[in-house]
Amino acid sequence: MTLHGRRLFRSAGAFAAVVALLFSLHSSSGHAAGVPPDVEILNASYDPTRELYRDVNAAFTKGYRERTGTSVTIRMSHGGSGKQARAVLDGLQADVVTLALAYDIDVLADRGLVKPGWQTRLPHNSTPYTSTIVFLVRPGNPKKILDWTDLARPGISVVTPNPKTSGGARWNYLAAWGAALKAGKKEAEARELVAGLFRNVAVLDTGARGSTTTFVQRGLGDVLLAWENEAHLALAETGKGRVEIVVPKTSILAEPPVSIVDAVVDRRGTRAVAEAYLRFLYSPEGQQLAAKHHYRPRVPEAAAKAGRAFPAVATFTVDDLFGGWRAAQKKHFDDGGIFDSFFVNR
Amino acid sequence: MSAPRPREPLAVRLLLIGLAFAAIALFLVIPLAAVFVEAFRHGAGAWLAAVSEPDARHALKLTLLVAAIAVPVNAAFGLAAGWALGKFRFPGRNLVLTLIDLPFAVSPIVAGLVFVLAFGRSSLLGGWLAGHGIEVVFAVPGIVLATVFVTFPFVARELVPLMQSQGTDEEEAARVLGAGFFTTFLRVTLPNVKWALLYGIVLCTARAVGEFGAVSVVSGHIRGATNTLPLHVEALYNEYAFQGAFAAASLLTLVALAAMLAKAFLSRHAGEEAP
Amino acid sequence: MSIEVRSVSKSFGSFLALDDVSLQVGDGEFVALLGPSGSGKTSLLRIIAGLEEPDRGTVHFHGEDATRRDARERRVGFVFQHYALFRRMSVFENVAFGLRVKPRAERPPETDVKRRVTELLKLVQLDWLGDRLPSELSGGQRQRVALARALAVEPKVLLLDEPFGSLDARVRQELRRWLRRLHDEIHLTSLFVTHDQEEALEVADRVVLLDRGRSSRTAPPRSSSRSPPPRSSSTFSAR
Repeated sequence: MTLHGRRLFRSAGAFAAVVALLFSLHSSSGHAAGVPPDVEILNASYDPTRELYRDVNAAFTKGYRERTGTSVTIRMSHGGSGKQARAVLDGLQADVVTLALAYDIDVLADRGLVKPGWQTRLPHNSTPYTSTIVFLVRPGNPKKILDWTDLARPGISVVTPNPKTSGGARWNYLAAWGAALKAGKKEAEARELVAGLFRNVAVLDTGARGSTTTFVQRGLGDVLLAWENEAHLALAETGKGRVEIVVPKTSILAEPPVSIVDAVVDRRGTRAVAEAYLRFLYSPEGQQLAAKHHYRPRVPEAAAKAGRAFPAVATFTVDDLFGGWRAAQKKHFDDGGIFDSFFVNR
Repeated sequence: MSAPRPREPLAVRLLLIGLAFAAIALFLVIPLAAVFVEAFRHGAGAWLAAVSEPDARHALKLTLLVAAIAVPVNAAFGLAAGWALGKFRFPGRNLVLTLIDLPFAVSPIVAGLVFVLAFGRSSLLGGWLAGHGIEVVFAVPGIVLATVFVTFPFVARELVPLMQSQGTDEEEAARVLGAGFFTTFLRVTLPNVKWALLYGIVLCTARAVGEFGAVSVVSGHIRGATNTLPLHVEALYNEYAFQGAFAAASLLTLVALAAMLAKAFLSRHAGEEAP
Repeated sequence: MSIEVRSVSKSFGSFLALDDVSLQVGDGEFVALLGPSGSGKTSLLRIIAGLEEPDRGTVHFHGEDATRRDARERRVGFVFQHYALFRRMSVFENVAFGLRVKPRAERPPETDVKRRVTELLKLVQLDWLGDRLPSELSGGQRQRVALARALAVEPKVLLLDEPFGSLDARVRQELRRWLRRLHDEIHLTSLFVTHDQEEALEVADRVVLLDRGRSSRTAPPRSSSRSPPPRSSSTFSAR
């Protein structure tokens, strides 16, 4: 090795030391951002709940401070439900998860982040509000899309997110399948309908909100399959006359559940706040906020109060027709499931 | 010798020039202008309110923090790489040269995912870090790492070929004249690549500020905590908060425009450094 | 100060550049190292300067083993083939560099630096170009700046690598004579590398031939009349 070669190694060592120093500096600065509030919890939620939780967080924070004197900051992270579950698995420090479907929380329970039997810890299957799947169509419904069978018609362009990443999309898929079964069709016919529906898909976004933007802002597609609340929000945001809501005769009872993430709250010591936060969703104020954002309240008194705002739909549940989420996930959405076969054969 | 006269008739030339300008207007000027029109649609007051809203301010601060770490790290790395690869032959040199470009070849989403895989809770390293209360992914360190990764090559790519073409003559001359390593580096090596270094730093900064893909994967999208400015723009846009989204986007656009001007200025000087 | 190279070998990969080369330059002597390109003469010069380490063999300055001494401490003046002037520094700063980078205790005050550099620039007849950048100079001028820069640190030995290689014929002639006169004035032990036999014989006191990594023989000393010896006296033919 030449004299210069030895210098090279000496200076490489110095460089490594500088880098190490910089990294140690930034990891400490990462925690020092902002004024530390008394308690801070993170709610990892799915896409269309942004507006709901903005109101819920404000109301809860205010009430909690009045009751206990502790000021809570609730941080939000939104994304496709499956993606959010994945992020929590990979280490996103969410104290509570408010996801689109039970399966995504089951996944967390399987890996020990959430205690087994989580769904019985809160009333109504840990589902403080429900929703259903409706259609959003262009003004005047020019393609005459009224029910699920219309979605599989040739020449219809459908917008839905990807069931692999989006909980909402899995509800869309099962709603179409279940509606066919409910209409007296056989399993094979239901499969044909859903296959036809996905043949008509123009854009497959990763999350529900992305699909809404695609349909409403970018003007792609004839029909958007959307959460009821998402459809109302899109309607409100874009103004009347640009899109219309079509409620199918039969649809699925979508139950987006909530849970604390035991591993995180125990480590961070935030269990009390996190539990209070989730119970707040069942309070009259929480239920009323859900109704305001077009989620159907689950507590009977609140549901009765809000009744008029929600059109009647004949609903079925995942348990009724698909034997629960784990079975549905395995059969339809896991790798090599029925959903994959549509895309392999495309 | 006179320049060959273009043979095309005037009309054809005008048409082509017109088309070029139309394309520039269509693809560059109009979208850029649209950002500012949308951002200021409700007046300068609304713009100011939108960019000084706490989440926006935090996103801006985080973006600047990330750039303030990533750019010096990559500048230091780029100098070290330029110096080692440009001035020396050693075993494995070609491998390192190839690896430097890797972040350009890899899709940003993969760049993000490798950090989730390496530092995520399910990995060995991530599990160990989590056990010691150190968060990497879905926290600021992860964002910094991903940004460092994707902006890795900018400075090195400017410096390696330049330092290679400049050779080691001047360093050797300095050494024979009695200059030590650091003196030689500061007085001879660094001034010789000053403009190329600044040029690389400008490109690196622009990308560090604007990076979306890789950062999106490791951010966790926690508002007011791990959303950088580009992620904040996306979040606002998804919430139908168009004015806020475009106000934040206008800040990013300003950074891009400043980088472009700096780039034009620096590329003239950087040209002088080639031997 | 005398230079002595003892049995030096050096290879680069599988290429044997120097094979057991020995060489002696007496105090105040001006020796030309003559050989075709690829004969290893530049490598030998770099080993003497400390820019390269020999695989085997030793280098002695004034009888002392300097093989392990760093280039910085050898007090060698080196004129590179392509001058290697600091491109971002003025001519003045180029020459002043060696003085400015001395350890604090030995560093001369600014007034002395100024005086010394001005002297040197006068010596190489370039005192009117101090503010220029190297890129603004002609080849011959650059060559003289490189020489002034090497002399600034008062070296004990001067090594020149193809000092006239990249100059046109007329300038080369002039510089050769000038360099010879300069040596007669300052009597600095000097070793210069060339592939041009005529040049070697005209300038140097003595010529050492180097071919395929071996020093084959030493040509007769330069005649006092300075006229080149007849061509037949050497079996070596220049390329």
